[in-house]
Amino acid sequence: MLQRAPVAPRGPRNASPSVRGRGGIQKRNKAGGPVRVDRDGDLVMDATAGGDKRRLGKGRLEGPAPSRGAGRGRGGPSRGANLGAVKTQQAIIRGLETRQANVLESRITTGSTTLQIDGLSSSKAASNPDGGVESLLAFLERKASGPNKNVKIKKSHKKGDSVFVTASSEDIAEIQKLDGFTFAGATLGIQARDSPSSASRPDKFGDKRKDEVSSNAMEIKERLKSVLAARYNGDLKLLNLSALVQDPGLREMGVFDGNTTTSKIFPALMVVCGGLFQTRQEKQDAIVSVTLADNDLADVSDVTALAQTFPDLQHLDLSRNRLAQLSNFDAWGAKFKHLSTLILTGNPIETQLATLKSDIMKKYPYLEILNGIQIRTPQEVAAALETAKSPIPIGGPDFRDVGQVGENFIRQFVVLYDTDRSALLANFYDAQSVHSLSVNQNAPRGHKNSAPIAPWAPYIKQSRNLVKINNLPTQMTRLHRGSQAIQKLWSALPATRHPDIQTQGDKYLIECHALPGLADPTGQSVRGVDGLIITMHGEFEEQNESPGRALRSFSRTFVLGPGASGGQPIRVVSDMLTLRAWGPLALPKPPRNPQANTTIISTEQQKQEAMAMQLVERTGMTPQYSALCLTETGWDLEKAFIAFTANKDKLPADAFITNSAR
Amino acid sequence: MTDISENTEVKVAVEAADMFVNSYYKTWNKESGGKELSHFYVKVNPESPLKPDITINGNIVEDPTDLESLHRSQPSKTHYEVEAFDCQVVNTNFTVGAPETLLEGNPTGKKMSILVMVSGSVKYADAEETRGFVDNVLLVPNWDITKKNEKEKKKWLVQSQTFRLVL
Repeated sequence: MLQRAPVAPRGPRNASPSVRGRGGIQKRNKAGGPVRVDRDGDLVMDATAGGDKRRLGKGRLEGPAPSRGAGRGRGGPSRGANLGAVKTQQAIIRGLETRQANVLESRITTGSTTLQIDGLSSSKAASNPDGGVESLLAFLERKASGPNKNVKIKKSHKKGDSVFVTASSEDIAEIQKLDGFTFAGATLGIQARDSPSSASRPDKFGDKRKDEVSSNAMEIKERLKSVLAARYNGDLKLLNLSALVQDPGLREMGVFDGNTTTSKIFPALMVVCGGLFQTRQEKQDAIVSVTLADNDLADVSDVTALAQTFPDLQHLDLSRNRLAQLSNFDAWGAKFKHLSTLILTGNPIETQLATLKSDIMKKYPYLEILNGIQIRTPQEVAAALETAKSPIPIGGPDFRDVGQVGENFIRQFVVLYDTDRSALLANFYDAQSVHSLSVNQNAPRGHKNSAPIAPWAPYIKQSRNLVKINNLPTQMTRLHRGSQAIQKLWSALPATRHPDIQTQGDKYLIECHALPGLADPTGQSVRGVDGLIITMHGEFEEQNESPGRALRSFSRTFVLGPGASGGQPIRVVSDMLTLRAWGPLALPKPPRNPQANTTIISTEQQKQEAMAMQLVERTGMTPQYSALCLTETGWDLEKAFIAFTANKDKLPADAFITNSAR
Repeated sequence: MTDISENTEVKVAVEAADMFVNSYYKTWNKESGGKELSHFYVKVNPESPLKPDITINGNIVEDPTDLESLHRSQPSKTHYEVEAFDCQVVNTNFTVGAPETLLEGNPTGKKMSILVMVSGSVKYADAEETRGFVDNVLLVPNWDITKKNEKEKKKWLVQSQTFRLVL
């Protein structure tokens, strides 16, 4: 409280945070006054350092960079230069040349989303009416933005001589690179702050330290990248994370000094690794196998991040750790659902595998090979995958008609409901027929389907969705008994067009079977008479005046019974309609065959990957040599192992994984 | 024959439907629910004229106890969600399988057959996408119920069911 007092008089005007948008800045650039200040900034920049070259060097910590036209661009050839030898490891590095690297940088350089900017007070812009804040912000946004990147400051406020800005972590990383830039004659000091409130540290803390932190972080990140690159095998799509403690690259970095262990470095490795990929699919394609052998893991909590980074992993090797029971895997929860191979050789748990097998199979529903033993066939895995989509297989319609009553009714219904609802009522409905409709406004409609949903207004006042309608009078008024009442409702509902049932049968699924115990309209049978229950799933288009097609999905259930003597032969006892936003009807699966070929290919590939991993495991050879050895022995693991044993003394040193403790 | 008022008819039917909808899908969601599923249906009994008729995704389920294996085949984290339902009384004096003493009259609405139509969604744990389902159920009185066991037993049982994934 007391400490705040001296700050307050400096001007509440500046202290109040202002929210800024991109639009305002552009407008300003075109307008009069402040533009000059902006331009000043530019002019000073250009005069002192010759533009792009300096900007690149200083801003991006890349050392001397070739000056190329719009040199700010990411992914230009300049990036490739400091990758050097690493570049051969195609897949893992692919991400480096894309914008995604920015995300990485921002994650590693700072977790903060607030920056403290100093230097404005000594700039020429300080004499502006607002103390130069607006022009500074415009300058920062413009300079930090690149051709593919629109940096936007979300919030800003001036406190004392410093300006605090808030932006997304990605944008902050870009702005942070402007540290040391010259703005309107003054050198800017930019440093990360946890929050504006904790920002009032001594100023000399500033520039130097900041530079160190930032360049250290960049260096660490670069080193982790090369560690990863050296441990990646593109042919096998294998990321070898075994014996991390012995990694020369990591040791050189000193990350294992003192108390820092795998638990510290692993999450950082995963962040760097995960950041290399734009999409989950890309990651899934590049890395199918990971080995975490020889990491002294008593449980997986130190490597929890693996599950977040590689949820779709297929092959996992945990050999020679200290895993003793299934609960040691708890940190991974229900992750790695798609695991196909799991290797636990050299763990205490190995002795209990026989008893744990069923639990492990349950945990990993598509696991095929456990410790080199096949526990599911590829067919079983394929079937399990199909089952996951619908555990209860989707069969064709169960249409058990009685004397074509159902078929005839549906054929007439579909046509007459669209064209002549009165005729439909006259043909099938009587004074006791009951009708009601309900709207399901929350129905799923498939993630690929983003068609707008036509308003429910015409139906909602008649919707008898009992999830929502809880009072008896409404429940009663929305139940329509007798053709007259139904006629009244139907004449108020939108006109419809149902697909032609003859030519577009695939738009419908219709099922029916006999239903016992209907009231006998003749009153003769005390135990009632048999009827038919029909359920029709389909879609219709509304004939609205409003533009655009309104397509809806519906299901409709009818109970049909014999008519009273002298009336229609068949009467509708019940007619229930439920409406939902349109979605593609789940049609029965055709017998599978067309996909058989692709399945075989991918399982073949998977098998080879798994086999190579096992050979790596048994021999300590690199994945490349293991794959080579397997190729030469016709992908027979035993033969490959024999070949290895016979020749291992003749193999060059680089045929072996250097780190493996053998 | 004493007819019930339309008021009672709707009230009893909605209560029965509500009770069914709120307990049946929870049983499917429950990992240990498989064994309880058959309790919702009329029993397969050669002597009773009332037989269960169950169709799930077009597959005929001969005996309600077979649902247990269907339940087992779904992943443990399956979740059915009822998003809308409606119900209508099909017969206000349903007597199939009723003891002789109960043939006449239905003033309290305990002898109806009630059609329940449910529209909802289901997420099978391993699947990426939520699917839609529509379920049609005919509830009939549980004739087995006596004053003694009224509290433990379900008042209404499923005689006919047509369930299908529609999305």
